[in-house]
Amino acid sequence: MRRLFYLLREAYGNVRVNRAITVVAIVTTAFTFACVGVFLLLYLNLRSLAASLQNDIKAGVYVQDDLSAGALAELEQRLKGDSAVAALTYVSKEQALRDFQLQFPSDSQLLQGLGLNPLPASFVVTLAPQFRSPDSVNRWAERVKGMDGVSQVEYSRDWIDMLAAIVRYIELAAIGVGLILSTASVTIIANTIRLTLYARRDELAILRLIGATRAFLHVPYLLEGALLGALGSALSLGILWIAFEWFSRQIHMTHKLQVVHPLLRFFPVQVCAILVLVGVGLGCAGSYVSLIRFGEGRE
Amino acid sequence: MIQLIHVTKYYDRRPALSDVTLEIEKGEFVLLMGPSGAGKSTLLRLLIGAERPDDGQIFVQGRNVTKLTPSEVPYLRRRIGVVFQDFRLLPKKTVFGNVALPLVVQGASGSEIKRKVTEALRAVGVEHKKDQWPATLSTGEQQRVCIARAIVNGPIILLADEPTGNLDPELTNEIIELFKLINARGTTVVVATHDPQVMAQVNRRVVTLVQGTLLVEPRVAV
Repeated sequence: MRRLFYLLREAYGNVRVNRAITVVAIVTTAFTFACVGVFLLLYLNLRSLAASLQNDIKAGVYVQDDLSAGALAELEQRLKGDSAVAALTYVSKEQALRDFQLQFPSDSQLLQGLGLNPLPASFVVTLAPQFRSPDSVNRWAERVKGMDGVSQVEYSRDWIDMLAAIVRYIELAAIGVGLILSTASVTIIANTIRLTLYARRDELAILRLIGATRAFLHVPYLLEGALLGALGSALSLGILWIAFEWFSRQIHMTHKLQVVHPLLRFFPVQVCAILVLVGVGLGCAGSYVSLIRFGEGRE
Repeated sequence: MIQLIHVTKYYDRRPALSDVTLEIEKGEFVLLMGPSGAGKSTLLRLLIGAERPDDGQIFVQGRNVTKLTPSEVPYLRRRIGVVFQDFRLLPKKTVFGNVALPLVVQGASGSEIKRKVTEALRAVGVEHKKDQWPATLSTGEQQRVCIARAIVNGPIILLADEPTGNLDPELTNEIIELFKLINARGTTVVVATHDPQVMAQVNRRVVTLVQGTLLVEPRVAV
């Protein structure tokens, strides 16, 4: 217990020895983490936006005009039994015409000129959430096209593909930027710890000579790194939260994006906790790098 | 207690120790004499595992120091006290804090630390200085504190590297008497020095090193 207190006191002492450098390191780390956080926040919000929009994705299964009532009932049963189908609505030829006239009143005279209803009957299908990815929708559409009585399957494929691509690119950017800036954070913390190590090199030499183990020598510096990482990460969350609230208010005031506003979310508490833990991990990594470079990794 | 068998150590291809064979018995007081650069400090550093020989074997209390893994070295050092010419006291710790360090490193309890540090400081005659900072002490007192730190955990061996190098003749006498006292309690003492005054005062076994070569008959059966 006394040894633990000693190590904690040493870690606190290290921070105090280089107070100004420590503050600079925390602030720099915080802004570095905040840059990663922007991408992460963008990724999480776009993903939830995509998920919310995908809920509205519907596919139209058009039925052949000459299909008998029995075959239609059989097709309906087959579609209902499909695991990819969450909900199903039948739209008759007459209903389709009425919908068209309602939606496009100026063009409805064109159809009246034809004398007969050219619009096919269809099933409007809402896909189950696990089948809403572009690949799944594609596979499902190909399968349904092959069913007896189906003339065509239509869905907003371009929209789904584009949305998935955007989320994928943001995800890749978040990973790329995250990796680069995490390395930067490790370097910043490593350099701060290195200064502490340099300031206390004589003490380290003495401790080694009187029988201090590697763990005893390293723990205060690892704790110092962990503290820098945790504080940097927590500060970055504060910066991000302020920026997020400001951005959210701006969106709210811009009437064009009112639909998006209710979907915007800051990181949940669990994600905040994970980000602080990541900060702790990167801080420890920075300390370790510094200890190795300083020659503390070997006797 | 200590055995060196055909030990050779090079620095930049120049031999600091050449084929040194030496045995020191338990409870002996040995003076390691020789001019600067003779290899005295190198020999002491080899004994505490701070260096590895390029050739030969070193045994301390039956354990082959040359075969120790890096994680085993600290445990060897806990059984050996080391006194330095420049004292190497931590300026930001009090006398008590400096002497307590070897015990803190070993995870001793608070009461044990207090008892042992007080005993060690009393043994070297600076108990009344326990709350002072090293910078406020005289050189003789600093060396006494350094000795207290070396003996606080009851080492089996005490190594001193030019312990009187920074002291005047009177203080040298006091420090040598202190080493004799520690030796009389059963600790094996090895003092590296080039000071003839120390040799005259100690009147014990003298081992002489010149340019890394030992000038006495080896007593180890090899």
